[in-house]
Amino acid sequence: MTNLLKTTLFVALLSLVSMANAADILIKNARIVDGQLRDANQLSDILIKGSMVVGLGTGLSTPANGRVIDAQGRPVSAGLFNADTQLGVREVGSVADTVDSSTSNEHITASLQISDAYNPSSVAVAYNRSLGLTHSLIQPSNGAGIFAGKASVVRLSDTGAILVDTAAMVVSLGEAGSDLAGGSRAAAMAMLREALEDARDYSKNRESFARGSRRDYSLSRHDLEALVPVIMRQLPLLVRVERASDIERVLDFAEQQKITLILSGVGEGWRVADKIAKAKVPVIFDPINNLPASYETLGMRADNAKILHEAGVKIMFTGMGWQNTHNAYLVRQSAGNAVANGLPYHVAMQAITSNPAQIFGLPGYGEIKVGAEASLVLWSGDPLEVMSNPDLVLIDGKEYSLESRATRLRDRYYSRLTSD
Amino acid sequence: MRTRCLRLLTYAFVATGLSACASTSLSDSQATSELENSAPFASTYQTPSSPPTIIRGATILVGNGERSDNTDLVFEQGKIVALGDNLKVPAGAVELNGKGYWLTPGIIDVHSHMGVYPNPSISSHADGNEIVSPTTAKVWAEHSVWPQDPNFEKALAGGVTTAQILPGSANLFGGRGVVLKNVPSITVMGMKFPDAPHSLKMACGENPKRVYGEKGGPGTRMGNMAGYRAAWISAAEYHKKWTEYEKAVASGDKSAEAPSRDLEMETLRGVLKGEIKVHNHCYRADEMANMIELSKEFGYQITAFHHAVEAYKVAPLLAKNDICAVVWADWWGFKQEAFDMVRENAALIELAKGCAIIHSDDEIQIQRLPQEVGKAMAAANRMGMQLTPAQAITWITSNAAKSLGLSDRIGTLAKGMNADVVLWNGNPMSVYTKAEKVWIDGALMFDRSNPEKNHTSDFNLGIISPEGDRP
Repeated sequence: MTNLLKTTLFVALLSLVSMANAADILIKNARIVDGQLRDANQLSDILIKGSMVVGLGTGLSTPANGRVIDAQGRPVSAGLFNADTQLGVREVGSVADTVDSSTSNEHITASLQISDAYNPSSVAVAYNRSLGLTHSLIQPSNGAGIFAGKASVVRLSDTGAILVDTAAMVVSLGEAGSDLAGGSRAAAMAMLREALEDARDYSKNRESFARGSRRDYSLSRHDLEALVPVIMRQLPLLVRVERASDIERVLDFAEQQKITLILSGVGEGWRVADKIAKAKVPVIFDPINNLPASYETLGMRADNAKILHEAGVKIMFTGMGWQNTHNAYLVRQSAGNAVANGLPYHVAMQAITSNPAQIFGLPGYGEIKVGAEASLVLWSGDPLEVMSNPDLVLIDGKEYSLESRATRLRDRYYSRLTSD
Repeated sequence: MRTRCLRLLTYAFVATGLSACASTSLSDSQATSELENSAPFASTYQTPSSPPTIIRGATILVGNGERSDNTDLVFEQGKIVALGDNLKVPAGAVELNGKGYWLTPGIIDVHSHMGVYPNPSISSHADGNEIVSPTTAKVWAEHSVWPQDPNFEKALAGGVTTAQILPGSANLFGGRGVVLKNVPSITVMGMKFPDAPHSLKMACGENPKRVYGEKGGPGTRMGNMAGYRAAWISAAEYHKKWTEYEKAVASGDKSAEAPSRDLEMETLRGVLKGEIKVHNHCYRADEMANMIELSKEFGYQITAFHHAVEAYKVAPLLAKNDICAVVWADWWGFKQEAFDMVRENAALIELAKGCAIIHSDDEIQIQRLPQEVGKAMAAANRMGMQLTPAQAITWITSNAAKSLGLSDRIGTLAKGMNADVVLWNGNPMSVYTKAEKVWIDGALMFDRSNPEKNHTSDFNLGIISPEGDRP
């Protein structure tokens, strides 16, 4: 407890210091692109003091000791959010010592807390930040059971990175669930049902469990504890599911169990879009996927995002493709392709900024407005266009370098090539 | 006759090791008997008949580095006829207004596993890696291709008209690759690019040593090198035996006995004779340098390094040795050997006057290769280079064609070239741009405005609902 207090104080002091040091910034003539329907020709000044946006409008006066950046019409968006990455917990995919996203330990499933493994100094974190990604939901992957563990929301900052320690409980159904449950998707559902029943029983009978006078449970004590917030409806159950029938089944299940859902994957979501919308369940997926990679994604199509949105489903994006960790910033390429396939532009922006902010409870982030956290990006052009790049990246008011290990390597060899 | 001769040259070594075109002294009767089966699995593709077509006033990326604005393009009987201003409409031509549209050559992906790792990606379909021995130059990727892979039509909708299908990278020698036209066909022979050379897939680095480390080796990079060298030593002996036999036959020695055939060695001999192109999976700069030394030790040419994440570190060496570097725009971090990625890789290879190619190796990215080029171009321009779309598009057109040995037929929109043409509704590198129409050999194969007419794979029929096709 003392240590914890010390740490908290230390962090608080540090952030005070950095706030004091951060110069005020006035970004003039920016085109704000933040998921609101706005006039594309309207330019605005953005005044940032410390960690916050404090002024928005035209002709704002230059702060005394501040920097002025003339955007000259370039867009400013909230820093991008990728809703399914393993940033900070997967450094080099094939090097097991650097990968902490799952465990084969069967006593640790629901209780795997991914933020415990998060490394803000990861090369992949700095790289993605330099390319405009500022926030992410870090999802564990499955190890020994259908529960992968607790997902966390981070921002890609040096300090104070963990924003929401426990943002969702991740579970896999469908084909992945079937593999984990012994060869049937129905067995995965049975395991889920049993786990939640056990968690309910356990939560009411902790003392008799401690005395050893309760029946055996399907999960370890810590796994059951991890599931208690789910049955109390304090924590969403993030279900990985693709097939239309699996989606319907889990929607019904959640209603019976009175639990809150987020669906992830939803390759065939478009087929049951109205039902997802009616249940008010948000979804996470990569809109660029359009191929029947498995039998549960036979219906995968390029306009899944458009159809889900039109039905009224709240969407969040990941991507691009399987490079959703090391190139997590390319979620914007996935979003751009969703626009190319019929999704309204501002909705695509919401899916990679303000929607995850709302769903995971980040009140300061996701929109450019007075009082918002200054986690934003000035772009060379349209943030959804693949040929654009960031010109300025701020997280919580702090400016981060646009350099990365990759640009260092580039510069070393560029100078050799040009000096020969 | 020239066609037949070319085909024989390509396939001669396959069956008998005889090179009919080169051995002019061979009598006709001998040639017939020896070469009856010399072109197994030959292409049965026929250029479809199609009306002459003129596209007016488009922005044309020629594929050779040039750009031509507000220009007309005419093609007829499968070939590009003219590129210019106010061209005459050929009789019976389809005339299209290209104002506001862009034209490029058909996109070429030199690294695809369509058909050999098709979708759904179930184990029943996983036919791309013959993981039984590190040395399997004997296998041919085309024998694994499932022409009903629903990926082909999606790649076509992204403008891909030609794809090299390669075996995977588990083995030191993975087998022969094949160049396919992206056309619907029930058989793979119906897709094979006529007279295209075969390739040999080789692999450096982590994959072979990981796969075989506990299965008798190789278990290290030095083990990989020893494995290649042992195979090339055998191939050199085989090559010598067959060359001596061929000489004897050519000089009229009727008692000469043909050495026994060996499929493994036939492929390697094809490389030593310069008839099969080496496409070598190799990430790290130091390993590329080792592979170049190896090729000199045994006297063969490496055509291209694929997944060449570190190509920028040895770009002048690659240029000097006339080796193309085939790269992703930005993939990295999945393996240690993919750790030193830079987004400017293709541009730095170009800067060193090398041959840069962007490949997909991926069924999502193959649908939008120009976007991958756009990212790589934009990253380079951000650091101060001044690449244009006209230059960068060569990474998926003429440079790609060069690495396949097909520069004389595809990759540029020049007179006499195959009429593989893509009409885009804007700059093809933009995330918002789509291919509107795609022609292969002058025939309209994809038309976004006419979805009912576009081909869909057998797999897609009735699989979502009895009446509907998979979208």
